Amino acid sequence: MTKENVQGAAEEEQQAQSKKGLKKQQKEAEKAAKKAEKQAKLAAEQQEADEDDFAKDRYGICPMVQSQQKLDRALVRVQDLTPEKAEQQIWVRARIHTSRAKGKQCFLVLRHQQFTVQALLAVGERASKQMVKFAANLTKESIIDVEAVVKKVEQKIESCSQQDVELHVERIFVISQSEARLPLQLEDAVRPEGEGDEEGRATVNQDTRLDNRVIDLRTTTSQAIFRLQSGVCQLFRDTLINKGFVEIQTPKIISAASEGGANVFTVSYFKTSAYLAQSPQLYKQMCICADFDKVFCVGPVFRAEDSNTHRHLTEFVGLDIEMAFNYHYHEVIDSITDTMVQIFKGLRDRFQTEIQTVNKQYPSEPFKFLEPTLRLEYKEAVAMLKAAGVEMGDEEDLSTPNEKLLGRLVKEKYDTDFYVLDKYPLAVRPFYTMPDPNNPKYSNSYDMFMRGEEILSGAQRVHDAQLLTERAMHHNIDLEKIKAYIDSFRYGAPPHAGGGIGLERVTMLYLGLHNVRQTSMFPRDPKRLTP
Amino acid sequence: MPMYKNGEVDPALKALEERQDEVLRRLYELKATVDGLAKTVTTPDADLDASTLSRGPAEAVFRGTADLDSLLGKDLGALRDIVINANPGHPPLSLLVLHALLCQRYQVLSSVHVHSSVSVVPPPLLSCLGPRHIDSYVRQRFQLGFTLIWKDVSELQMKFNTQSMCPIEGEANVARFLFRLLSAEPQDPVTVTQMDSWIDTAVFQLAEGGSKEQAVTLRSLNSALGRSPWLLGQEFSLADIVCACCVLRAGLNTSAAANVQRWLESCQNLGHFDCVYPLLQ
Repeated sequence: MTKENVQGAAEEEQQAQSKKGLKKQQKEAEKAAKKAEKQAKLAAEQQEADEDDFAKDRYGICPMVQSQQKLDRALVRVQDLTPEKAEQQIWVRARIHTSRAKGKQCFLVLRHQQFTVQALLAVGERASKQMVKFAANLTKESIIDVEAVVKKVEQKIESCSQQDVELHVERIFVISQSEARLPLQLEDAVRPEGEGDEEGRATVNQDTRLDNRVIDLRTTTSQAIFRLQSGVCQLFRDTLINKGFVEIQTPKIISAASEGGANVFTVSYFKTSAYLAQSPQLYKQMCICADFDKVFCVGPVFRAEDSNTHRHLTEFVGLDIEMAFNYHYHEVIDSITDTMVQIFKGLRDRFQTEIQTVNKQYPSEPFKFLEPTLRLEYKEAVAMLKAAGVEMGDEEDLSTPNEKLLGRLVKEKYDTDFYVLDKYPLAVRPFYTMPDPNNPKYSNSYDMFMRGEEILSGAQRVHDAQLLTERAMHHNIDLEKIKAYIDSFRYGAPPHAGGGIGLERVTMLYLGLHNVRQTSMFPRDPKRLTP
Repeated sequence: MPMYKNGEVDPALKALEERQDEVLRRLYELKATVDGLAKTVTTPDADLDASTLSRGPAEAVFRGTADLDSLLGKDLGALRDIVINANPGHPPLSLLVLHALLCQRYQVLSSVHVHSSVSVVPPPLLSCLGPRHIDSYVRQRFQLGFTLIWKDVSELQMKFNTQSMCPIEGEANVARFLFRLLSAEPQDPVTVTQMDSWIDTAVFQLAEGGSKEQAVTLRSLNSALGRSPWLLGQEFSLADIVCACCVLRAGLNTSAAANVQRWLESCQNLGHFDCVYPLLQ
């Protein structure tokens, strides 16, 4: 290396060093500048905060309500906020559905059950900057008490249920704060499926909903579904009570499997084991033999079927009917179908708000029915299916796809979503079904369908101990296991018939939903035991 | 020529002429008597006390049998159910008359339903097909089903075999279909055309027309009925059913001319219109 080169290299090194140094200096200077900025900002904010907050008393987080005092304050429900209350100053307790700040204003949407209302808080005489900031930062789902003036609006607020008014907030206090991170967003949970995919916005899948059921149940759709379900139960009870039925409660821990043995849950019962009842069948019938004439019961039913379908649960609520009749089991069919029609009418006339709310997220055709209910015979159904190209034997049971097809054919011809299919073949029914007197291949049994899916299986029961024994033997059933059952018919038993429906399935089909878990609050299936 | 002698007519010719005149006169008298008798037989005389005429089971007017298999398709072992969707605001009176006629001919299972699209239906409409047949719980015993559904529809509609038949719309068209089941259609094409023409007149002029069209139609009815007891001549037909029902429904019976009134009474006397009168309130 020459002297010049060395010098050159050293110079380069020096230059490189100074370049590095410069860069380092630059970086440090940037850092310092940023820090200074931040500090300045903080100082400014502090100054702001220290600025006179004249609205200090009108907002804040309340101490936990431990029943410290009895406030004589009336809280108005969101659903009662209508133009009639315009200019009134009222208190409302609701959840924060959404909150968003826009400059000096904060828009809140308050929600209570199915109902939402818009609320407005603006910086002004009554509200300080700090107050508006506080409101904008409230976490979603927090429960708040708001004092506000109800104001009529010029243009309808389409996104809320209360479209003709909004609240101008005077005071706002937090009663129960929610954690900031929610496991699911309620807006996503009520979004219709198609919309979510189209616009790239999220919807919530079923498992997430079921895992966080408490939050999922808060959505307007869930509130509507379960209110309607409550209506179904109430209409069932009211109609039957008016028809002179007696409500009974039957045991769920039983000693023997009632319907065949395969699908029962076993529980340990002290030193032996017992079963969870598959249906109240046996006890309903015993009540008839005990002269109660017309009975119904509402209670859980347990089926240990490993079916992972859209319409099976391992535990569901059964609404069961049993009735003694005079001469013909059609008297019972007429009673059951009339009860169903009264339920449908009651839902149609009194629960339209709920039906519309559900339809917003899950659109479907309104439920149609005829009064009196359409009753077709099994042979007619087979003829209709054959005419539509299905190949099946006259005494074959209907497969699920055939049931659905039949439902569509009946809907096309009669325009009804609900009908009865009478006179099923004997071979496909349980052993206690009464055979048809005129044709031993058929039976006095019937199924009822809603939107092409079976909701009720019923029949005239065999009320003669001897015939019952014969039928049980024909079905290879261990007589020892059903001895108590057969005994109940030995001391005079009236002719009787009945049937049972599943509350969740009926609600699902009435609303045109597609999965029974949507209509079961805390569903149980082979894969789910909690919540 | 021997008859003319000396320009005078032969008395034998004169006698012949007189005998001819006599015969002709008697013939005319006979014809008049027979005409009068015919009128009396087919329609009640205004002087006759209508209440003495028997109102028992109506006479079987149409006696032919129809081949249901060829008209309705092969019997697959199930009830052949005819479904009619009608608006309770416009009850199809002619179809009720045809239902009564069908019940005479076949084993008909009749049922009335109210569709969920309608909240309230007046009781007379619920019992317009008569009392329920005692065997109605065994659908299989019947040859035909007649299911009337009161529904919120804009146009009357009939459905039979949804796989192979499209729905039939309009009371007149359904009436033509049902009439065919009675196999009482006139055989010659001229009469058939006249029948169709009367039906269309009834539907478009009487039922749907303004007071001017109605007046014109009533005049045509009156003059046609002056010439024969029924619209197509000597035989009662679908034309009479549909026209009478349209007149009754439009409330024109009370103010109608003599022939029309007489004809309406004849219809009533046949007994098949009993189901219609309770619905006219």
